[in-house]
Amino acid sequence: MFRRTDRRTEGHGAGPAGMALRLVKVSKTYGSDDSAVRALDEVTFSLASGTFTAVMGPSGSGKSTLLQCAAGLDRPDSGIVTVDGAQMTGGTEAELTKFRRNRIGFIFQQYNLLDTLTVAQNTILPLKLARRRVNRERVRDTLTAVGLGNRLGHRPDQLSGGQRQRVAIARALVTEPSVIFADEPTGALDTRSARDVLLLLQEAVRVHGRTVVMVTHDPVAASYADSVLFLADGRLAGQMHQPTVDAVAERLVHLGDDVMARA
Amino acid sequence: MMFALAMRSVRQRPGRFAATLLSAFLGATIVMTFNSMQDTAGARGVDAVSKDTLSSAAGVVGSYGTLLVFFAVASTLTVNVRQRSSEIELLRCSGATPSQIRRMVVGESVVVALVGALLAVVPSLLAGRMLLDLFKDSGQVADSVDHAFGPIALYSGFATTVVAAAGAAFLAVRRATVRRTRPRGKGRRFLVVAALVLGAVSVCSTFALSGTDEMLMAPPAYGSILLSVGFGLLAPGLLKALVGRLPLTGPSGYLAVRILRVQAARLSGVLVPLTLFTGMATATLYMQAVENDAIDAAGVPKSVDAKNLETLNLVIVGIIVVFSCIMLINSLYASTTYRRKEFGQQRLAGATPGQILHMIGLESLLLTVTGVAFGAVAALAGAVPFTMVRTDGVLPDQGLGIWLTIVAVAAAATFGTSLLTARRALKDSAVQAVSLAA
Repeated sequence: MFRRTDRRTEGHGAGPAGMALRLVKVSKTYGSDDSAVRALDEVTFSLASGTFTAVMGPSGSGKSTLLQCAAGLDRPDSGIVTVDGAQMTGGTEAELTKFRRNRIGFIFQQYNLLDTLTVAQNTILPLKLARRRVNRERVRDTLTAVGLGNRLGHRPDQLSGGQRQRVAIARALVTEPSVIFADEPTGALDTRSARDVLLLLQEAVRVHGRTVVMVTHDPVAASYADSVLFLADGRLAGQMHQPTVDAVAERLVHLGDDVMARA
Repeated sequence: MMFALAMRSVRQRPGRFAATLLSAFLGATIVMTFNSMQDTAGARGVDAVSKDTLSSAAGVVGSYGTLLVFFAVASTLTVNVRQRSSEIELLRCSGATPSQIRRMVVGESVVVALVGALLAVVPSLLAGRMLLDLFKDSGQVADSVDHAFGPIALYSGFATTVVAAAGAAFLAVRRATVRRTRPRGKGRRFLVVAALVLGAVSVCSTFALSGTDEMLMAPPAYGSILLSVGFGLLAPGLLKALVGRLPLTGPSGYLAVRILRVQAARLSGVLVPLTLFTGMATATLYMQAVENDAIDAAGVPKSVDAKNLETLNLVIVGIIVVFSCIMLINSLYASTTYRRKEFGQQRLAGATPGQILHMIGLESLLLTVTGVAFGAVAALAGAVPFTMVRTDGVLPDQGLGIWLTIVAVAAAATFGTSLLTARRALKDSAVQAVSLAA
């Protein structure tokens, strides 16, 4: 249903094959002089396509900055970000937007759906903005797949939080992006809705071959991922494959201790 | 307790009240300036002719002024309260009852109105003197008459401004605090019908007057004001119905159409001042032009009476233009600023800043076209009966020049405010924009 089109793979020869996302020595500092905070300190990693990765770390570890820099929502001070073999260049916002449109999908904690548009209209908005053809049938299929096939004409304020987040997932899927970034996607949801959302993200990876990067503070959410990247003080502080809830929670506690000890 | 909160709120965020303060100040200045003519007329030793001139000037402009002050203050306050819906929600969650919130907002508005009226006292005193000199120069008022600024000016100025502010605040906050249990629009429908019916009656009563009647211009002018307001309230609904049929393609057109269809409430705040501005300016300027031509045609030199009427008319047009422009700019500024979060969400969905500005441009175009079209209809409804009674013709034969100038001003205010405000709202990054509390 979400088969990749060949359109985007042309001309992206650079970079190792099979890497959906690659960061090389990415740094970002906020503020200036004595009040400067180094949010990201030469972070380097790559994620293979078709993987589900959680990014975790204590508050202020740079999780959100990492996501924003990797997703082209913010410009890193230095370093290289490559999405699906194409390097992101710090141009104007319009250039960054056009870069993101076909390569990156977003899911936010606060959904960020437009209240003035219906579920179906919200879902096709990225296609409309990119002047891409809208395949109505596939949009309906996508919304049916997330369990909202009978809600196409509703507006976001008529939906529950879990339903809104599922619209956001459908919206992120219809553009067939290389990477889907999810920022605390379950942060505002009850346990049951959170589970539905996480299973859908898993399905996007397993069934449709998307790459998902999810920032979260919840070990349960992280346990749905294939691997977890830990972040502390703006640096990578380890990786865990096949994470379990307990292992992640324990690692986080120690991460917190380490940060406290260094401070 | 709520009054203390109101005072704190005004002190902490004076900028938010700037538009309300400006409307209250200008409104109070106009009301006090013209009502001081009433004080002047009431002084001892004023002859009957002077008295008559002064009272009629005070009566005509005073009532216009009161109407406009109410509209202007109400419009700025409605915008203010809507902007603060999250603050009001927060207060409600902290245990404030609707009546406490009402007291707070009404208290704030009364304070702002009082300050506005107070600031207006000295300017009104000076403007009143100038106005009296104007009357003396034209020989309408005896040179011996001294300007008096007394209880009538002060009382009417303060009362009008404060009552308008309190009433408007009460209505605005009630709309914001009462959970919508039934669809809104009953009160609005009444307002639309009342404005249109009274407007039509006023316009039709022009035919009851003779072509040389001094008051001939008043009924069609009043009619045009009321029709403009009625059309302005009616326009969002019509625009909403028509907008889907417009050939607007492309991403920006797609968004503009869908958003305009849903946000009728935001539109009426812009369309009422826009129609009022176009309707009033067009009606008065064309009627004045017809009047001038009629006097020229009669072959007699312009009497001081006619000159005075012209001055008075231009003053009224000036007042209305300034007021509707303030309302228009304030509404557009506030509603565009308020949409910062929406713009952020659109950018996160893949809209470039250029696409958003394009969308705002299309919205402005649709609003301007709708506003000036309805304004023109309201103006014609007043100007045609006037022309028919005053001359043998039906349409004013001044051509489209005046109207096009008015349209240009309306378009400049609409486009300028919307686009500049939107550009400012796009300065933050999209992520910052969506994380801001609205």
